[in-house]
Amino acid sequence: MDYLERLIKEKLAREAQAKTRRHFIKECATGLGGLALSSIFMGCDPLGRPKKKTELAFSERDLNPLATLSPPHNPKVKSVIYLHMAGSPSQLEMFDYKPTLQKLNNQDCPASLLEGKKFAFIKGVPKLLGPQAEFEQVGESGNWVSDFLPHFKKVVDEVSFLKAVHTDQFNHGPAQLFMHTGSPRLGRPSIGAWSTYGLGSENQNLPGFVVLTSGGNTPDAGKSVWGSGFLPSVYQGVQCRSQGDPVLYIEDPDGISRDLKKSTIEAINKINKEEYLKYADPEILARINQYEMAYRMQIAVPEVMNINNEPENIRQMYGVDPGKESFANNCLLARKLVEEGVRFVQLFDWGWDSHGTDHTTAVDLGLRNKCREIDRPIAALILDLKQRGLLDETLIVWGGEFGRTPMQENRGNKEMGFKGRDHHGDAFTMWMAGGGLKKGASHGKTDDIGFSGIEGQVSVHDVHATIMHLLGFDHEQFTFEFQGRHYRLTDVEGEVIKEILA
Amino acid sequence: MKKNQRKALIIVLILFGLVLLWNNFKPQEEVDFSAEIKPILNKNCISCHGGVKKNGGFSLLFEEDALSATESGQPSIIPGNASGSEMIKRIKSDDPELRMPYEKEKLSDGDIDLLKRWIDQGAKWGKHWAYSLPEKVEVPTITEEASFSGLETPVFAQNGIDNFILRRLASEDLKPNSFAGPNIIARRLALDITGLPPNKNLFNDFNKGKIPYEVFVDSLLAQPTFGEKWATWWLDMARYSDSKGYEKDQGRSIWEYRDWVIKALNNDMPYDQFTIEQLAGDLLPDPSLDQLIATAFHRNTMNNDEGGTDDEEFRVATVIDRVNTTFEVWQSTTIGCVQCHGHPYDPFKHEDYYSLMAFFNNSRDEDIPSEAPVLKFYTEEQQKEVDKVNNWVSKNGEAHTAKAYKNFLLYQQPVYNSHLFQDFVNGSYDDHASVILWDDGSCTMQNARSDKANNFLMNYRSGYDNTLVTLRKDNAKGEILAQFKIAKTKSNTTIKVPFKAIDGKFNLHIESSNNNIPEKASAINIYWIGFLDDLPGKDKAGYDQIETKFMKLINSRTPTVPIMIENPEQMKRTTHVFERGNWLLKADSVQPMVPEEISSWNNDWVKNRLGLAKWIVDKKNPLTARTLVNRVWHQLFGRGIVTTIEDIGSQSDSPTHPELLDWLSLRFMNEHNWSLKALIKDIVMSGTYGQSSVSSPEMYQNDPSNEFYARGPRQRLGAEQIRDQALAVSGLLSNKMYGPGVMPPQPEGVWQTVYSGEKWLESKGEDRYRRAVYTYLKRTSPYPSYLTFDAGSREVCTIRRTVTNTPLQALVTLNDPVYLEASYNLAKSMQVSQNVDENISTGYEIATYSKISPEKLDALKELYRISLNEFESNKESIGQFLYFHDNPSANLAALTVVANAIMNLDEFLTKA
Repeated sequence: MDYLERLIKEKLAREAQAKTRRHFIKECATGLGGLALSSIFMGCDPLGRPKKKTELAFSERDLNPLATLSPPHNPKVKSVIYLHMAGSPSQLEMFDYKPTLQKLNNQDCPASLLEGKKFAFIKGVPKLLGPQAEFEQVGESGNWVSDFLPHFKKVVDEVSFLKAVHTDQFNHGPAQLFMHTGSPRLGRPSIGAWSTYGLGSENQNLPGFVVLTSGGNTPDAGKSVWGSGFLPSVYQGVQCRSQGDPVLYIEDPDGISRDLKKSTIEAINKINKEEYLKYADPEILARINQYEMAYRMQIAVPEVMNINNEPENIRQMYGVDPGKESFANNCLLARKLVEEGVRFVQLFDWGWDSHGTDHTTAVDLGLRNKCREIDRPIAALILDLKQRGLLDETLIVWGGEFGRTPMQENRGNKEMGFKGRDHHGDAFTMWMAGGGLKKGASHGKTDDIGFSGIEGQVSVHDVHATIMHLLGFDHEQFTFEFQGRHYRLTDVEGEVIKEILA
Repeated sequence: MKKNQRKALIIVLILFGLVLLWNNFKPQEEVDFSAEIKPILNKNCISCHGGVKKNGGFSLLFEEDALSATESGQPSIIPGNASGSEMIKRIKSDDPELRMPYEKEKLSDGDIDLLKRWIDQGAKWGKHWAYSLPEKVEVPTITEEASFSGLETPVFAQNGIDNFILRRLASEDLKPNSFAGPNIIARRLALDITGLPPNKNLFNDFNKGKIPYEVFVDSLLAQPTFGEKWATWWLDMARYSDSKGYEKDQGRSIWEYRDWVIKALNNDMPYDQFTIEQLAGDLLPDPSLDQLIATAFHRNTMNNDEGGTDDEEFRVATVIDRVNTTFEVWQSTTIGCVQCHGHPYDPFKHEDYYSLMAFFNNSRDEDIPSEAPVLKFYTEEQQKEVDKVNNWVSKNGEAHTAKAYKNFLLYQQPVYNSHLFQDFVNGSYDDHASVILWDDGSCTMQNARSDKANNFLMNYRSGYDNTLVTLRKDNAKGEILAQFKIAKTKSNTTIKVPFKAIDGKFNLHIESSNNNIPEKASAINIYWIGFLDDLPGKDKAGYDQIETKFMKLINSRTPTVPIMIENPEQMKRTTHVFERGNWLLKADSVQPMVPEEISSWNNDWVKNRLGLAKWIVDKKNPLTARTLVNRVWHQLFGRGIVTTIEDIGSQSDSPTHPELLDWLSLRFMNEHNWSLKALIKDIVMSGTYGQSSVSSPEMYQNDPSNEFYARGPRQRLGAEQIRDQALAVSGLLSNKMYGPGVMPPQPEGVWQTVYSGEKWLESKGEDRYRRAVYTYLKRTSPYPSYLTFDAGSREVCTIRRTVTNTPLQALVTLNDPVYLEASYNLAKSMQVSQNVDENISTGYEIATYSKISPEKLDALKELYRISLNEFESNKESIGQFLYFHDNPSANLAALTVVANAIMNLDEFLTKA
């Protein structure tokens, strides 16, 4: 591997050279410093030729599109773990306590609320449905949490609630796209793609943007929710799977040893080096670099994706289920990934669409089970990051694509056998935790039945602006030019939610 | 003090007068608005004084806005009087509160001088270069005959293209590279024209000089693989895929359109016709089946089947997509901006968008799960029956009846979809596109029109017999128009019942009754209704059989393809401007019209999609040919003459070779009669194209993106080409063309979409090895290895694939079983002798069409030696590696490793 190591060294030197080019030119003019530097660089020319006067006009990013970049402003966090409950959890059974709704249980929904509103399934005049969980105020913050989430109560003082988030989308596909790309239509980059485009990754042996799914299905909107849109496809999320290869094609074919793979890549890169000598196309250097990365990734990915090497107490803390696809496993993986410097970890857990069409989607039955599946792992994730000192440099975001109605669903204008709630975008709860945020805060209020926000309403664009702010970007300045227009994650809207910033 | 002030004023005025005099008498060159003024305005002013923001009531986008009064009541520009113009005062001001551009650096003296001169010369507005096309462009003469270096190579300048290139090279003090060499150029040409490496015989003939360059090019252009290669490029723009998109992403049968594109390209259908048939084939007189299939171009829009979605919202979304796509594909214009506000920099107004939308707003499709209208493909036997019915109707009935019957058999339109029903009693609209009525249920459709037809058609299903259906005029008390009982059905069924002829609009009230069914059970599900004239010839013998045949045919399930069909007069929609782009906020109604800033409208054209298509391919339209030429150039050189291939307009990059772009565009229309093959041939026959792509750090430094063309093109191959090439060089590639999408091997568990039982069923036999253009493309889960190599998911129009270089790509070509199978097959054909050198050289040559250099041979020999050692010392691993082989040898396994390395070489993955 001598040759490869040398190449890596050379690449690093080249990157350093690119970074310090201006500095270097200045030093050159002053004599000694310049001499010393130039002799180092001469030794590092990958072609071993005498140093040419002209510098090559390609950047570090040409060689490695995931090379780390500093954000323009002071970042509060380095990584993001985004926990998306696909289907959209009921805020009314988890965080947004509405005693009045309980009193109005089973009464007709006031017509004034229904005027001009559209619902996915509710027809005619539905009845109000009181909360199906017991609530209590917990922690020093005294924020409300339901008995569906006993473990979460212990970490409630670490999070900042947004109680009055709103979206204008009320179907899963478009709403998920909106939540992750800032547009309900396909074709825009996801938050993770923007983040890795803007910051690169801290770990060059792992993908910079990792997606983990659980619940048996990928999100309704498909892979576009972690797509790169018009950004280069290298910034799209890489789905790491619990079964089969953790990353597609990461495993060597049977019968091929690691040593043999190493020799293969050495041979390829040796020949590619010859090719570079002839064509002088930096694209070839990038390819040499990518083959080395691929080789390292083959070791690093299975290693980081293996939760069996975690100590027993940690595995118990999350409640993992090794060998299966589970949200708990994914939470532990998320911690391992950000610990390794992965920029953006996106978790999707499917199965939160509590319409009440059967017991699995009833807000008093299936929802309780779904909460049980996430409760312990989320509390563990927060505590585990904290005990490692990582919580301060990580942002955790939790939410669905919208919320659920205070009214009971009456699909087909009929009373249904189970208690369910329809999609509702006017007001729902999300929370964030981690660096740069107030601890134990709660921003925004909904009316007495939880139908509309009445205070501190924030939009999906505001949530995005805040995430970008914490990563060190001004969301209005962070743009990409495509088809003659400067696009940004927040389109033409969005304000940073200052109320929850520390 | 006062005196002094007056004195000062007089002096100032005198000076001012002198300046004016001087300005009037000083000889001045005419300022060119497009070249000199517009760039200054676009760079410094337009973001606050453009189409979106008009600060102070001042906009510089249109002449009339720029010269009219601003909020101050005065115009900011007074033609002929620069110093009296507020704009000039502001840009010259030293007061930071007043100076423009606000809070930015002062404009340079040169820019200020230009702006002043321009206003003094009358502030003449000019058209941006993109919106006018010269009538003729002269090919520059070149004084010195430049030639490729070396004695036996041909001269550089092969055709007119090279003159333009040479002129620019000379101005940059550069010289063209040498000729690439026959083996390199043969591979380059074959990959560019057919997407595959060259056929061995053809290659050998060319390489040995037996056939000349032009014959080689012609024979590549004549191969059917040409259409398959260029279809991929077009299908990206057409957003072709085999599924509907959005949440459910169910399959869609639209491959007939993909095949139409391949055939049209292979037949070199002129681009104007290619355009007209795709945009408006249905509106051509008596359209052929092929012309109807072509209209599926705009049925590649997504269809949202998610429960609870509003069909009208997503119908509007498809119409918007069609407007945007049409302008992106044919006009290099991002018209989408204008949906919400005036264009920020190009001369399009907010209303222009909706006038364009009006062209597309009258197609029959309405985002329903069946994707109607769909064109039915009958079997040969069925077609005979169809002909019999059609003959009968045209012999016995009037022309309009014959047409109605013919169209109904072809695509079952016009019909009213059930989402139009309202006012439900004991029933509802369900989310699977049907109206459900219980016992004693009813609903109403407003503004129906039957145009005196006396037959009612209904597509429905029911789980019960004997539901009585009553149709009334207007409401529950209205006159009965028809009454009939329906029977239990196995699947959706269409019936035809007598109906009272009505002229004009009426509200159709439908009632159902069946008291023998459970409470709230669906007595009937209605999918669509329609009206049709009586089958003519009632008294003639054979009438009953024809009637039976007709009903049997319209109830037959056949393969289909979604197509565009225009609304008949009685169903026409009115198009409104949407305030801020919100489809629920409808403002003024608009008529179809094009932005005449681009090209003027000819009143001979009908204002429908056909007229729009004619406007697009009108030779006066300055964008159509340029767009196409620029993109074909981009396909071949990896960059456009205008780099922003998505955008040719006031904000796009300037062309590197403006006259070349215009010369090629005019030639494409006037001399080549819109022949794509002729255009491609022109470009690949040029010396510019034939250059070697060898570079040096200096050359690279001088021109990193090769915009002067001092060397030949060099790019990584596209996703489809990489796989097709691996299959081709290993002898696995099938040459079977057309048909439904195929499913080559992909890893388990890649497809995972909610609410969809559809599965990836791995194709058998040669279908595993078809060209990538035939691979089934599911939008929410495209074929993973293509995605890794930058192919898109075709949800929306893709003009450019951003080429990336990632470790995941290396993992595909190193570890994907598809590439291992290809490597194994290449290894087999490498076993030509006992000599390892010979075997490896053979493999390298088969794959790259080049002789291997000693250094490269050494590297691969070393790999072979290591592999052989490993396999011999661990015999078990041979069988594990080549698991599909009965008794493989260590030698074959080692050669497979080498073959795989070859398939990962830069020279294999790149077109050099």
